[in-house]
Amino acid sequence: MSGQNLDYDLLKQLTQCFGPSGNEREVADLIAREVNSHVMDSRFDVLGNLIVRKPGKGKKILIACHMDEVGVIITAIGEQGYLYFAPVGGIKNSDLSAKRVLFKNRRMGVVNQEKNPLEEGKPSGKFYIDIGVSSEEEARKIVREGDMAVLVGDYQETPSHILSKALDDRLGCFIAVELIKQIQCEQDLYFAFTVQEEVGSRGAKTVVHGIEPDLALILDTTLSFDSPKEKNRTSLNRGAAVKVMDRTIVVSPLIKNWMAEVAAQQDIPFQWEIITAGGTDSGPIHLTGSGIPTGGIAIPVRYLHSGNEIAAKFDIVSAFQLLSALLQNPFQEI
Amino acid sequence: MNSYDLAKKVIFSLSDEAGVSGYEHPLFPALQGIFTSLASETRRDFIGNFYAVKKGLDGKSGIMLAAHMDEIGLILTHIDDRGFFHFSAVGGIDDRTLLYQEVIVHGQEDIRGIICSVPSRVHQEVQSKKSIDMTQLVIDVGYPRETVMNLVKPGDIISLIRKPFSILNDKIVAKALDDRAGIAVLAICLNELGRLSHRHNVYAVATVQEEVGLRGAITSSDGLQPDLAVAIDVTHAQTLDTKNQVSIQLGKGPAITVGPNIHPRIFTDLTRCAKESRIPYQIQPIAGETGTDARVIQLTGYGIPTGLISIPLRYMHTSVETASLQDIVDSGKLLADFIAGLPENLEELLCC
Repeated sequence: MSGQNLDYDLLKQLTQCFGPSGNEREVADLIAREVNSHVMDSRFDVLGNLIVRKPGKGKKILIACHMDEVGVIITAIGEQGYLYFAPVGGIKNSDLSAKRVLFKNRRMGVVNQEKNPLEEGKPSGKFYIDIGVSSEEEARKIVREGDMAVLVGDYQETPSHILSKALDDRLGCFIAVELIKQIQCEQDLYFAFTVQEEVGSRGAKTVVHGIEPDLALILDTTLSFDSPKEKNRTSLNRGAAVKVMDRTIVVSPLIKNWMAEVAAQQDIPFQWEIITAGGTDSGPIHLTGSGIPTGGIAIPVRYLHSGNEIAAKFDIVSAFQLLSALLQNPFQEI
Repeated sequence: MNSYDLAKKVIFSLSDEAGVSGYEHPLFPALQGIFTSLASETRRDFIGNFYAVKKGLDGKSGIMLAAHMDEIGLILTHIDDRGFFHFSAVGGIDDRTLLYQEVIVHGQEDIRGIICSVPSRVHQEVQSKKSIDMTQLVIDVGYPRETVMNLVKPGDIISLIRKPFSILNDKIVAKALDDRAGIAVLAICLNELGRLSHRHNVYAVATVQEEVGLRGAITSSDGLQPDLAVAIDVTHAQTLDTKNQVSIQLGKGPAITVGPNIHPRIFTDLTRCAKESRIPYQIQPIAGETGTDARVIQLTGYGIPTGLISIPLRYMHTSVETASLQDIVDSGKLLADFIAGLPENLEELLCC
């Protein structure tokens, strides 16, 4: 399981799917098609989580990653056909200005900020989306209140890096799908492709019921601290990040040490993820029922939630290798 | 052992140890030592909750008592080029209390260090009489970067150093009295129950990760599904600077909470019990959910009738938290009398 033969074309397809929180079906259908011939059961739960199983006689292990991406939701349509919106997930208006957004019907729009005609200088009003129409009536033929849009961010693969929208967390989905295709191990594996992570890890709150795994491993992305003047923290090209803490979980030291030991034994490069903001599906999953031993693998990504995210293939490969190795050498204290 | 000595013993043995949220394991030997003789059974679960079970005469119903063992602390995020440790908070640390504190970095081995700040910043900030933001603080352990890299790694836990001590008038000063004082209350309650007869099984739970989101209480109450629960935590007591914002006073007895988070019959029964046993008490109305384990316990499963007893505490979330031993002893006795007085059929008490 070297991770040298990953099918990056699939990553391209995954990232370019339309999948803001609550609208993940396009992503789910692609994943279901890809893994169908490699898994035993495949089902959707009520919220839209896709759960597939690769049965085995060993420990019951759940691997979870989320399908949704951040976006915006249309709240009002103005007289001139301008669209007003609210954020879906952790997305800031200031990051949106002059960016393109994409609706499910593939119509694009541009985000801009209202100007007060009485004030010179910087725009100061509400943010809106311009979809290139001249009236409310015309706009209503294309979108309506409640429609969502995602940031436009074309996929580009360089020899060493990936640039795209929605690397958070299609990278996790990508690694999980590749793993399903390649892995042979004795553990009883459940893969959960969850919904609504960006709006409060909501899919993760229901997904564990009915599985009750011995262990859960969450694949997600994490903040990278390597802009020009930062160093010595979680960065691109230093390997998969083993989760220590975020706002929603303090990983058991037994689990983080197990993960680090397996990585060290197999010469898989790794670093640590320690953040105080932001959480992942690991939060609700580890508190389900009377508690589920839970760990996390994160891939560092620059400019998260910006539509222009950058990740390193080195870290993607490390995460793939680490997850494979962990499944071959499962946690013993459960 | 009388309950007063027991309270002292528990606090002195627990407050000295480090038990930062998620990393409570150093407390287990002391907990085991305290509760083995007081309970019929002790155990731990995976997340780290510690259970001391005291069987009742008929044992039809289960009473959960919850006090959290974890304390706030720091976590090492990275080591800079000069060998200084940068850190983040685990739980609600007040930045103002950190500068020039002594700490232990729990690395390969325990390393002592002090919290300092970039000199130019100190100068500016002290002059402007502002406290220094945590991002500007670092830990100095004395070694250069090359040496420390072998001893510590990002993710290592850092705890504050403070030996517990007594001050005048029965007051005790320690770090992590929030909520090790609550654990002392659990011990006193079980100790007092040893000489009272009680019908129901009592599950005294020292919970983990309260300071980062009441997490141990979420899983332990789900596992136990008790018929009734009482959380024991601390509450702000009046100090010189609280003016009229705080009504609870140190040394005036346990604070019994009333409000939507609390089952009304548990509140009235606790106050009635206090009156009958001549235990001084204070009433603390809380309008919404409380910031304690009681918040999540109440909402477990089909819902659990929940009460809350709080120990008055000065200087919460500093390393010099101050409590009254008498308040702690009284809280434990009140809880024991309450449990001993519960009727055989809890439904009759709670559902009408």
